[in-house]
Amino acid sequence: MKHLVVKNKPKGTEKIRELIFKELYQQIPDNVCIIDSDFNIVEANDNYAEHFGTWQNKKCYAVYKKLDEPCDNCPTMEVFKKGKAVVCDAIGIDKNGKKTHYIAHSFPIRSKKGNKIAYAMELTRTVTETDRWQQEYHILFDRVPCFITVIGEDFRIVRANEAFRENFGDVVGQHCYEVYKRRETKCSNCPAEKTFSDGKVHHSAMTGIGKKGHKIHYAVSTSALMRGTNSVAHVIEISNDITALKHLEHKIIEAERLGAVGQTLAGLAHSIKNILMGLEGGKYIVSLGLAKDDKAMINQGWEMLERNFEKTTSLVKDFLSFSKGRLPELKMVNPGDLVNEIIDLYKDIAAQSRISLKPEIDSKVKLAPLDSAGIHTCLTNLVSNAIDACLMGEQKGNEVTVKVFEERGQLCFEVKDNGSGLDNEIKKKIFTTFFTTKGGGGTGLGLLTTRKIVQEHGGKIVVDSQKGKGSKFKIIFPRNRLLTLFKETKE
Amino acid sequence: MLSTKILIIDDEPDVNTYLEAILISNGYETYSIIDVSNAMARVREIHPNLICLDIMMPRETGISFYSKLRKDKDFCKTPVIIISGVVESEKFNFHSFVSDKSIPAPECYMEKPINVEKFIKKVKQLTN
Repeated sequence: MKHLVVKNKPKGTEKIRELIFKELYQQIPDNVCIIDSDFNIVEANDNYAEHFGTWQNKKCYAVYKKLDEPCDNCPTMEVFKKGKAVVCDAIGIDKNGKKTHYIAHSFPIRSKKGNKIAYAMELTRTVTETDRWQQEYHILFDRVPCFITVIGEDFRIVRANEAFRENFGDVVGQHCYEVYKRRETKCSNCPAEKTFSDGKVHHSAMTGIGKKGHKIHYAVSTSALMRGTNSVAHVIEISNDITALKHLEHKIIEAERLGAVGQTLAGLAHSIKNILMGLEGGKYIVSLGLAKDDKAMINQGWEMLERNFEKTTSLVKDFLSFSKGRLPELKMVNPGDLVNEIIDLYKDIAAQSRISLKPEIDSKVKLAPLDSAGIHTCLTNLVSNAIDACLMGEQKGNEVTVKVFEERGQLCFEVKDNGSGLDNEIKKKIFTTFFTTKGGGGTGLGLLTTRKIVQEHGGKIVVDSQKGKGSKFKIIFPRNRLLTLFKETKE
Repeated sequence: MLSTKILIIDDEPDVNTYLEAILISNGYETYSIIDVSNAMARVREIHPNLICLDIMMPRETGISFYSKLRKDKDFCKTPVIIISGVVESEKFNFHSFVSDKSIPAPECYMEKPINVEKFIKKVKQLTN
């Protein structure tokens, strides 16, 4: 810092002003020059000369950029034309012939008499590498297409980027939970809180409320900004708006549901045709029996009628259960208990058919938010299919195992049999079309209903089967999806 | 006079009973099976004059049996009536079910539930 030294005490205001201007001119940490309307540099401070070299009797473009003619988009020309201050950034060449990046502020200097612009004053500040990085960082922080906030230990927002401000408003100083969710208290399962406590990165899927009251779904990750090495000073929270993705997901599920409804209707028609054929048959045989006065034939026809009426009832029941569009009613339950219930339900039927029905419950299985009635239906369908497959198969010593276990953050149920198995042709059809391999014994809705319930839980069902060797149906529920769904249904 | 033998293949016993009742009362000799995997053996045994065949059956589809029948030198000419819930009368596109296009389409398709008069008329026509 250069010190302002007044050598001789000046007299009169004008003089004092002139002196101050002269001194300030030198003191300013920027490069300053005065340019006339012909681009001649008429004055410059020492900083300017130090940076760009000799300026006396030179044109500004020759000094700044070592050019022979005025630059394109010349800011000085703009100042003379419009009479307004102009700011621009430019790359020039310094006195050592090296590239220099600077920001130039140009102002008009008007003549004493009137409005005429006599000179342009140009303040240039060189931008160092650090400054440039800082600028880039600011641009990045503001322009990245995701929400970024820096949160303090009291859960107040210290900084927020442009995307965040656009969606949630100018909210620096407010609590993150107030802003994101309009809550008065911290969210349960808050990822920022976890990061404050362990310094690690945490992820979560959340639903918030935008400044216009609209729902925003976002996937959030939090990471620590450390104070020294041990304590977390701030948490940086980066969220991606996944609202559009959520809508798309919803549309896909809806399309799948409609597709399944179409397949179901086609299959339903097929089933009804078979039942009608049975009813027609019963009617025909009863009429024939009556015409021949054959009581045995009348009885045979009547039984056929009764059987097919029963089938109609069971088809309607299955169909109603399939067509119910509802959110699963999730409650924390012990998955092992669900398996035991099914074993209890089927143990007698299995024993009668000489099939060994066994549970396998992994001790590591934890409580899970499930719709017990729904899962009961799924396991019932799978176990009843497995028993049928054993009856249809040719091998002896049939076994059906119902397993529940945890696998890489997923809760899995598995129903395995060593029955008839499925060939490839049938494997392709079991979930995609209304399909039964049980002739009159099945409605063909069991697996479709099972898949629907599993999907409503955010899970999937996969089949592994070999003709003649048996089948394995595995229901997979990712734990994180179950939790999200649990939170959503509670909200 | 030799009787006309008709083999009925459907996994639904009530359908078999119904078709048998119709055919017997019209003077035909009937045989029925519910397990299509035994069908070729039964065909060789019975030498039917006509086969009534369902499509969607466990273990093996009616189409798969039909393909085998048409490739068998002794029975490739045996007429077949497909009687199924997936058939929509004449609109049924047989070749969308069969990859081997050299296999000729069956003689007749009928949608469940059948029209008895039309069924008998067709049976007579195919067995004469």
